[in-house]
Amino acid sequence: MTQPLERTAPTPAPRRLRPSGYTVARAGDVSFLLHRRACAVAVLLAVVLAVTVVASLCVGESYVSPTEVVRVLLGQPSPDELVVGTLRLPRLVTGLLVGAAFGVSGALIQTVARNSLASPDVIGVTHGAGAATVTAMTFGITSYSVLPYVSVAGGLSAAVFVYVFAWRGGLHATRFVLVGIGVSIALGSLTRLFLTKGDYLVAQQAKVWLTGSLNGRGYDQAAPLALVVAVLVPALLWAAHAQRMVCLDDSTATALGVRLGPVRLGLTGLGVVLASVATGAAGPVDFVALLAPQIAHRLTRTAQIPLLSSALTGASIVLVADLLARRLFSPVELPVGVLTAAVGAPYLMWLIARNRRRR
Amino acid sequence: MSHATRRRIGWTVVGTLLLFLAVLLSLALGSRQIPPAQVFDALLHGGTGDNAQVVRALRVPRTVIGVMVGLALAVAGVVMQGITRNPIAEPGILGVSQGAALGVVCAIAFAGVHTPAGYVWFAFAGAGLAAVVAYAVAGSGRGGASPVKLALAGAAMNAFIASVVSAIVTTDARALDEFRFWDVGSIGGRDGEVAAQTWPFLLVGLLLVAVLARGLDALALGDDVARGLGHPVALLRGLGALAATVLTGVAVAVAGPIAFTGLAVPHIARALVGADHRWVLALSALLGPAVILVSDVLGRVVFAPSEVPVAVMTALLGVPFLVALVRRKATVPA
Repeated sequence: MTQPLERTAPTPAPRRLRPSGYTVARAGDVSFLLHRRACAVAVLLAVVLAVTVVASLCVGESYVSPTEVVRVLLGQPSPDELVVGTLRLPRLVTGLLVGAAFGVSGALIQTVARNSLASPDVIGVTHGAGAATVTAMTFGITSYSVLPYVSVAGGLSAAVFVYVFAWRGGLHATRFVLVGIGVSIALGSLTRLFLTKGDYLVAQQAKVWLTGSLNGRGYDQAAPLALVVAVLVPALLWAAHAQRMVCLDDSTATALGVRLGPVRLGLTGLGVVLASVATGAAGPVDFVALLAPQIAHRLTRTAQIPLLSSALTGASIVLVADLLARRLFSPVELPVGVLTAAVGAPYLMWLIARNRRRR
Repeated sequence: MSHATRRRIGWTVVGTLLLFLAVLLSLALGSRQIPPAQVFDALLHGGTGDNAQVVRALRVPRTVIGVMVGLALAVAGVVMQGITRNPIAEPGILGVSQGAALGVVCAIAFAGVHTPAGYVWFAFAGAGLAAVVAYAVAGSGRGGASPVKLALAGAAMNAFIASVVSAIVTTDARALDEFRFWDVGSIGGRDGEVAAQTWPFLLVGLLLVAVLARGLDALALGDDVARGLGHPVALLRGLGALAATVLTGVAVAVAGPIAFTGLAVPHIARALVGADHRWVLALSALLGPAVILVSDVLGRVVFAPSEVPVAVMTALLGVPFLVALVRRKATVPA
């Protein structure tokens, strides 16, 4: 969406050289090209997200009026402080971060694979994180200070495994996806195996976690996720820039002197870490990483998949799905992953049927 | 007798011996090791000791069910790969097994059906629906049903059905209780009655496939050639899909979803006896049960005294196979 420009660049007739649809923003020595439509979409998505946030804080076992919710959010005294601030807000923050992380992760991996079908769910990352976490749980590691690292390790090793076995004189997207699906199935079985081996209560807990649920999630789960996201912000700024290079086809990039290998590896690594941490916090919330970048990309119509809009869309999807999951069959609460899969899987099928892949 | 025929007969004999060995292992090994002599004694002369009781009451039903499931899945795999001309077609990967599972859940939760003979019909309906949708999705658009599109459509199918199943069992505790024992894909702990109730369906599926074998050979040459040879292509595909659906439905109704057997066995058989479907089907029918039984025995032994469900074992054993298959040039043209 934004791209730093050298000020020394020759600009004899700036108005005409500017690509259509862009505006130049200047701040002191630096100037940026802003894609007008992308900015408008990001603002719009932020508004949608804000409305979703307020709505999910309002609705629940008891209804709280939006004005009270806003008062609590602004830190003013309110009779609904307990319900909104203590009960609903931690869950909301977790959902927000999880959705944003999945959205960005999907955007990065889809950019590198140049294939809208490649999402962390499909290539085995979330299943790897899931299998590692369930295994750790059955061996008695239930501390929330350790589990996120376990799930990152699991997600990364699954990704490396898939990468290594799909490599055959080059990385072919098709082979990558097929190996990923196979590995996902095997990891799913492994997870079920450890579910049957573990203590009954742990198994129950792990089973709910595996469907991807925000039930009972709070700051304990959100804290490591927030930490990772905060640490990764500089890396993400780099990623937004690097994305443009990866969009070039291989021969053009080589001719321009861009070393695609390390850039791709970096972007993939970022995506895998984000998806794994998010999985560690809420379990594999299926298809958010597939859906969010696609929707954002269709809205902005930019050349590359927009990161910020993907994050906003991902967060909105998870919050809306969680709201529905809480209220649809109330008092029974569905795991949020059930709803995202029920929407995301048909969307994936539609993508396959249309077969409009960017190669 | 030509060299090729001798080789085929040779491998079929080897397959028969392997199956025999697998049956013997399945009867003899477990949390209680029983010497083969006592197994034969129990089966043939009606021995009366504890060991004979274990063999007759527990291990014989389990082995029979294992043979049925392996047979059904392997033959269904051959037929699916034949009618789609796609090396990666398989009940588990295409989501057909999950479709059958959804049928069973609906039968338990909404129709109040609790016997395998009753819910096998629901399994058929679910399997058929899932197969049609997955194939229609993969087949539309540019390029037809390539392996990756088929696998992705199947993965999407699996995810969707899993979420629907999860929604049903989360809101219906009684269904969950009945379903979770069946969902793991195991051939242990099933009643011998299950086999008695479902074998006619298996037989119908197998007979249908036997009739279609020559047609599958023609389909392998391409639709145009098959039509030129006088085969009704659309009818062949339809009947083949029906047979595969019935076989998958039987296997799933009996044992729950089991992946990868239908993928690996046909490829092994084809590598051994060539492309002629009659031989491939015969050898797959021998190797499928052997694979299921050996996986089941391994599952009983590795974590003894507790057991690993056979579906977990086949998935773990099957992945290296899938990876090898995908790395071949023929599957994914670079």
